[in-house]
Amino acid sequence: MAVSRLLAGVVILLLSLWGAGVMSATTNAVGRPLPADAAPPEQQVLTGLTQPATTLDFFVSVYKRPQNVDGNSWSNVLSTPLVRLDKNFNLVAAAAKSWEASKDGLTWTFHLDKSVTWSDGTPLTADDFVSTFRLGADPKQAWDFAWFFSAIKGWDDAVKGTIPVDQIGVQRGSDPYTLVVTTTVPAPYLPGMMLYSPPLQAKALAASGPFYNTDPATSVSSGPYVLQEWAKDQRIVLVANPKYSGVRPFIQKLVLKFADLKTEFSAYQANEVDVAANFSPADLQVIENDPALRAQYHQGFGDFRTYYVGFDTLHAPFGNLKLRQAFSHAIDRAALIKSVIKQQGIAAYGFLMPGFPGSQNDALKGIQTYDPALAKKLLAEAGFPGGKGLPKLELWLRNERALGQAIGNAIAAMLKQNLGVEVEVSNRETKLFMDELNGHRLQFYIVSYGMDFLDPANMLGIWLSGGRHAWKSDKFDSLVKTASSMVGNPGQRLAMFHQAEQVLVSDVGFIPIYFVTPGFMWKPYLRGDALSADKIGVTAWHWPGWDGLSTLHQSVYVTKDVSKYRR
Amino acid sequence: MTARYLFGRISGLVVAVVTVSILAFLLMHAVPGGPFDETRSPLPPAAKANILRKYGLDQPIWVQYARYVWHALHGDFGTPYQSPTETVLALLARVWPVTLLLGAIVVGISFTLGLGLGVLSALRQNTWLDNLLTSVATLGMTVPNFVIAIWLIYILSIRARWLPTGGWGEARLLIMPVVAYSLQPLAIVARYTRVAVLEAMAGDYVRTALAKGLSPAQVVVRHVLRNALIPIVTLLGPMIPDLFTGSIFIEFTFRIPGLGKFFVTSIFQRDYPMIMATVLLVAVLWSLTYLASDVLYVLIDPRVRLGARGR
Repeated sequence: MAVSRLLAGVVILLLSLWGAGVMSATTNAVGRPLPADAAPPEQQVLTGLTQPATTLDFFVSVYKRPQNVDGNSWSNVLSTPLVRLDKNFNLVAAAAKSWEASKDGLTWTFHLDKSVTWSDGTPLTADDFVSTFRLGADPKQAWDFAWFFSAIKGWDDAVKGTIPVDQIGVQRGSDPYTLVVTTTVPAPYLPGMMLYSPPLQAKALAASGPFYNTDPATSVSSGPYVLQEWAKDQRIVLVANPKYSGVRPFIQKLVLKFADLKTEFSAYQANEVDVAANFSPADLQVIENDPALRAQYHQGFGDFRTYYVGFDTLHAPFGNLKLRQAFSHAIDRAALIKSVIKQQGIAAYGFLMPGFPGSQNDALKGIQTYDPALAKKLLAEAGFPGGKGLPKLELWLRNERALGQAIGNAIAAMLKQNLGVEVEVSNRETKLFMDELNGHRLQFYIVSYGMDFLDPANMLGIWLSGGRHAWKSDKFDSLVKTASSMVGNPGQRLAMFHQAEQVLVSDVGFIPIYFVTPGFMWKPYLRGDALSADKIGVTAWHWPGWDGLSTLHQSVYVTKDVSKYRR
Repeated sequence: MTARYLFGRISGLVVAVVTVSILAFLLMHAVPGGPFDETRSPLPPAAKANILRKYGLDQPIWVQYARYVWHALHGDFGTPYQSPTETVLALLARVWPVTLLLGAIVVGISFTLGLGLGVLSALRQNTWLDNLLTSVATLGMTVPNFVIAIWLIYILSIRARWLPTGGWGEARLLIMPVVAYSLQPLAIVARYTRVAVLEAMAGDYVRTALAKGLSPAQVVVRHVLRNALIPIVTLLGPMIPDLFTGSIFIEFTFRIPGLGKFFVTSIFQRDYPMIMATVLLVAVLWSLTYLASDVLYVLIDPRVRLGARGR
């Protein structure tokens, strides 16, 4: 009796102590208890620089959202997509609690989480997703990502204007919390694509148009933040959403300053921003020489970006396979990495970066090896011994900064040295470059591609004929198309993608140069699970960054160390 | 006489602006790449055609121009593609005052200080002071403002931590951009003033004025400066529209939300309405400046008569 009383007393005492501990923990403005080593709530602020932006919303414009480097966006935080990505690139449920495909693989049903509401109190329903996708397919909206959802039934026809947008395969299901997506062919990668589903509110869209989130008066949020201020050309201020039903952020205020990103590193050094991602070779030298800065520099995968040399293989002279092979054996990737690219990339032998699903970089190593003697021989066999008979080549670059230009010049020098071929490097502005590339008018160029979703169907899909590259292989087309829509046999599907990439590399549809491993800096006072090592040991500001599509914002906070930095 | 002269000049101005607008319109549409080109993968041609139709870009170029002029005459200069939530006029009304404020401070500092230093240099010709001012001015003219800007940021922001690297809305944020931006015009004003004053001082009327017993100070203010101002106005007038339309380097480096950057971003983004607006703004400003400097001659030099054709 006495013992049990004593035990009960101890339990009650412990419980009350634990309770007191919980009660005394400081919470931030939206009630999230802060970790013990966290700075006070008013210092849970994150400041970053961004390129000029006109929207925070994916479906309004993909390329005019706040970003500070390829694929690292600061957007979509006013919305909850169906799924999000965690730091290990797993899809995690967000607005959708669960989803399943029909037997034929053509219909996907997403079951929405009924607890998610907009900041004005209205529930988030399938109708919001339906309106959002209709906006994206609307030819009058001229969405800059309209090519992406071709797999959805009726999408391409709606974009062309031949069927009304309300006929696309994104519809409300049996109730307002069921969303049904229909595809033209089975698309096992569809849930991955639905990362790009951050909804706009149907009501606000109808009342104020697609830009309703640029003004706090008309803005409405279903995501972790709400809009507090948008001073055009100056800054966006976001504060944590008190009505958000998901994991509320520790960081209760987010300040995004519009800037020319060349100024990012100096702003970081002056402690005006907490993160930085744009480094010139000179900046990297400064970082290299300073142990404190070096410790703040973290290398990641970014958006699995591949830099490559491309050709117009549909016309002379690059219609000649031997000529392309000659070029592919004349480029010394190891030397490029060692002396030019350094920590900013790793040598590429295929299109899929190690870490990306389906990558087989090592297996492809033997195809386009560096072999100047073989290159010379192939050049002669192609009918251009010693480079004779080749027209003067212009190697176009897409608005590259210092590093990209250095790489272009190094490749031109290798072609001159190993093949005797004269190449002039020409750095062109983006619009002009893409217009020429998409029109298949570019003879010889260097460009990059970063992934949209984590499936080989995405990265290899851009090599299908009719896409942006002037290269065509029926075998490749058939392999990629079949594998992309294959359901129920992941092993065979992967084998077909491997075979397709093999075809692409062997036919020298392109010359892979390097995979980008971008560096990202954050101050030592930022901490959180998302910033600790992922399952393969990489500590990075993982793609897509501080964004509604990622879970990064859920765990990061400012520690007390901040007092040593910020003034 | 003066009224007729002004009328003639202003009609000339209108002709110039119309000519510039036609040239700009033709040139910007002749550049390959359009404002709505997808950036990653090609769109179906039909989709692209829809987009062009939405913005009237499917029409023949002369129809597009006529439409532009018609709307412009009604005060509608279109919607900037880079900032689709406002009109071109609203954008200008937002960003130009920022540039004007910065420009006015720079003009004020460089002209008062430049004139003063130029006169001082001339009066103390070939002394150590003149040599010092000449060296500093040469430096100011030759070192580009973005180099100065980068040094200022390194020293005052990163090392000393006295000033933020950039931004807008506080007086102290003006310090670095004004210094970086003023040095070159200040140096130019000082150099031209020095030469003009030296030339004027060699004039017979200066000797006469001194001979009739005026103090050197009176001679400088009443005779030398007034005569020296004529070449200075000619040379320096055109600097003003430059300063009043902003510098992309200064604005980008110091995160100033002004007009300067739009001269470049509009072209890169094929933002046709903003290209036209910036080109027309510059055309009008330059024409007005030339007109104003011609009128100023009359006020400075009674011998000059507007519209007079040699006697």
